[in-house]
Amino acid sequence: MSETVLEARGLTKDYAMGPQTLRVLHHVSLSVAGGEFLCILGPSGSGKSTLLHLLGLLDRPTEGSVIFEGQDAFAKPKRWRDRLRNEAIGFVFQFYYLMPDLSVLENTLLPAMIRTPAMAWPLARRKHRQRALQVLGDLGLAERVRHVPQELSGGERQRAALARALVHEPRLLFADEPTGNLDTATGAEIMRVLTRLNKRDGLTVVVVTHDERVAEQADRILRLRDGRLLHGD
Amino acid sequence: MLNEWLAWRWVIPATAAGVLLALALLAALLRTPVYKHIICLKYLFCGWKAVVPMVSALPAALGVFLLILVFAIMDGFVAETREMTRGTLADIIVDAHMEGLPYYDDFVRQIENLEGVQAATPIIQTYAVIRVKPRYAGIRPIVRPCVVLGIRPSEKAEMGRFQEYLQRQRGSGYPAADLLKVPDYLVPPSQAPHPGCIAGVGVIGTPMPRAVAEIGQAGAEWRVLLAFLTALAVVVFLFVWQASRRRPGRRLWRVAMLVWAGTAAALALSATLIPVTPTRVERTQVIDFPLVDYGGDLVVSTIPVRASGALDVEAGGIPRVSSRALTLVDTFKSGYWEADSTNVYVDFAAAQQMAGMDGQPPSDGKPGAAARASQIQVKVKNPAQASAIVKQIDGAWQAFVRDRPEVGLLHLTVNTWETQQRMILTVVEVERNITALMLGMMFLGFGILIALISYVMAYIKSRDVGILKALGARDAGVGSLFLGYGFIIGLIGTAIGLVGALLMLHYLDPIELWVNSTLGIDVFPREMYYFDHIPRHLSVPWCVGVSLAVLVLSTLASMAGGLLAALKQPVEALRYE
Repeated sequence: MSETVLEARGLTKDYAMGPQTLRVLHHVSLSVAGGEFLCILGPSGSGKSTLLHLLGLLDRPTEGSVIFEGQDAFAKPKRWRDRLRNEAIGFVFQFYYLMPDLSVLENTLLPAMIRTPAMAWPLARRKHRQRALQVLGDLGLAERVRHVPQELSGGERQRAALARALVHEPRLLFADEPTGNLDTATGAEIMRVLTRLNKRDGLTVVVVTHDERVAEQADRILRLRDGRLLHGD
Repeated sequence: MLNEWLAWRWVIPATAAGVLLALALLAALLRTPVYKHIICLKYLFCGWKAVVPMVSALPAALGVFLLILVFAIMDGFVAETREMTRGTLADIIVDAHMEGLPYYDDFVRQIENLEGVQAATPIIQTYAVIRVKPRYAGIRPIVRPCVVLGIRPSEKAEMGRFQEYLQRQRGSGYPAADLLKVPDYLVPPSQAPHPGCIAGVGVIGTPMPRAVAEIGQAGAEWRVLLAFLTALAVVVFLFVWQASRRRPGRRLWRVAMLVWAGTAAALALSATLIPVTPTRVERTQVIDFPLVDYGGDLVVSTIPVRASGALDVEAGGIPRVSSRALTLVDTFKSGYWEADSTNVYVDFAAAQQMAGMDGQPPSDGKPGAAARASQIQVKVKNPAQASAIVKQIDGAWQAFVRDRPEVGLLHLTVNTWETQQRMILTVVEVERNITALMLGMMFLGFGILIALISYVMAYIKSRDVGILKALGARDAGVGSLFLGYGFIIGLIGTAIGLVGALLMLHYLDPIELWVNSTLGIDVFPREMYYFDHIPRHLSVPWCVGVSLAVLVLSTLASMAGGLLAALKQPVEALRYE
């Protein structure tokens, strides 16, 4: 483990429900060290996905702050957070969230497409394509690169989503119930990949799940219930 | 058309602005992240669902097609009507009405001395009844109202396109001064010739159907049809291609793709190779069949109006009718029905007598009266300066009246030919503009359709929006993806409509002949419109304007989807499965 990559300070998230306000997270504070495999474990409705969205800078907290590599992310402009998500963060979701109109290869190339201007693409494409093919090959999808997501199995889709999350060599990977939509064997295979990435490549991984077996793979487990961390960081 | 466009004074700034705009757009497109182009094209052309945006491009295509086609034809009507009315008149008309202008030759000289004036000539205009005895036995004489115009032929020939409209003497090289002269060969030696006259084809003719041969272009209609089919085949091919890409390894799709590509190529090749050959096509045309031969006699009757404004009367107060026999030396056909069906041109002096505008010496203690003219027609060196010269003529008239008080207070109207004929020109122009406006209303429907499609597309694709934003795409970037979507739909519609309209205009005459012969109808009756062909005038600024309007409208309309996508929070889009 090295220095802190990510730190949450007093994260609170409220949702307006008509005239009432629903507090989903209550002053959650935690930190994630570089190269750590952290699991946030909690039952359904405990606020773990909301916490992941805040940590991944997909949503803005009602109170509190997220410190990414020493910088207060929500004090920075939105453009900075967008760029950070594109270059330094990878996401894997329970329902894969692959774009159905794009092939596996194109889905994997998306982060590169988002940061590359059209005029630079003809020159940059080859490099990005090689990198994408390499990652897809590592994940066992070399034969499926031209297929669209609907032609893949659940495990293949999740691996494709993983390839998209890894292709730009992020410093931090967030996985939201990565095995939640998979059978046991496929889920175990995905977790093996995540563990391997963490152990072999030193990738910092944050997984939220309700599954104790998944959590067992992590270096550290934080339990979340009713929007509160049961074991403080 | 191209020359006219090149002569437009704004052509260089407009072209430069267009090129700069296109370059700026291209630069913006090249600077924008590539995912927008790729995903936008996927949304447009990916699989069978791409039928929706393609179909929504059709109203734009139809709108552009109709607006350009109809406007070109109506603009052709306007342009040709203007040309015809101008050709029968002159640049400026100084009108003294039936009161008549005395000392007109003096005033003509003053006008000719004005800066920018090329020539001027007095005209007599009076209303009359013409009696024509047909050359065929058994047909009763025809009697019609007409307008007698007294002209000095050599001067009138300088005014407009008078000489070009003469059926017999056009291009003959006769001296203009002899246009009204009765040639010896037209009149038997035993018969004393009457003064010559030139009558409109409608004055001495009667409508009669006649088979006329025209040169059509056989095969042109098939070429146009095949061009449309090729475009359709290419669009369908894109769908088949995209669908086959979705099913790798399925041979049937590949075969279908190849068959369709072959079909499209064959259609394109056929459209190019089909020979277009000139061919003789017969059509029934209603013409004004002349009831009098050249050299035949006409009798024109007028009621002279004296300088005092009183009618010439006989004993008992009965108006004295002045009848004069004239010999037909030529017929006049400008294409402007108003002139062709009423005008009878005679020598100035003869017309002056017929109208009672000739000079009267003093007699029986009554003062004499100076000879008068109804109009002075003026030809200017630069037609663009006609309005300015109208003011100069007004000023010259004031000075003329001051110098010659005997002229008296006279209401003189000085107008350009456009002002003089504004009623007919305005009617045609208003018709054109109303038609363009009504067709333009189609675009409102198109705009609403694009807005709805774009909104629904952004709603359906909200998951994609969430994914893109999660991966770091900016709000504005994702929103602009849907603007591009609308822009491309507009671009496809504009391209189809523009090409279709240009093809249709290019092959309009052969297509019309083909429709007439195939369906047995006459889509453009010549006798009704009095044009030899369907007039058309393609305005490049109009084409560019319509195309830009569609592109701007489709882009603006797709803001509905763009805003929805831009404002969508990624967590909202990704929250539920």
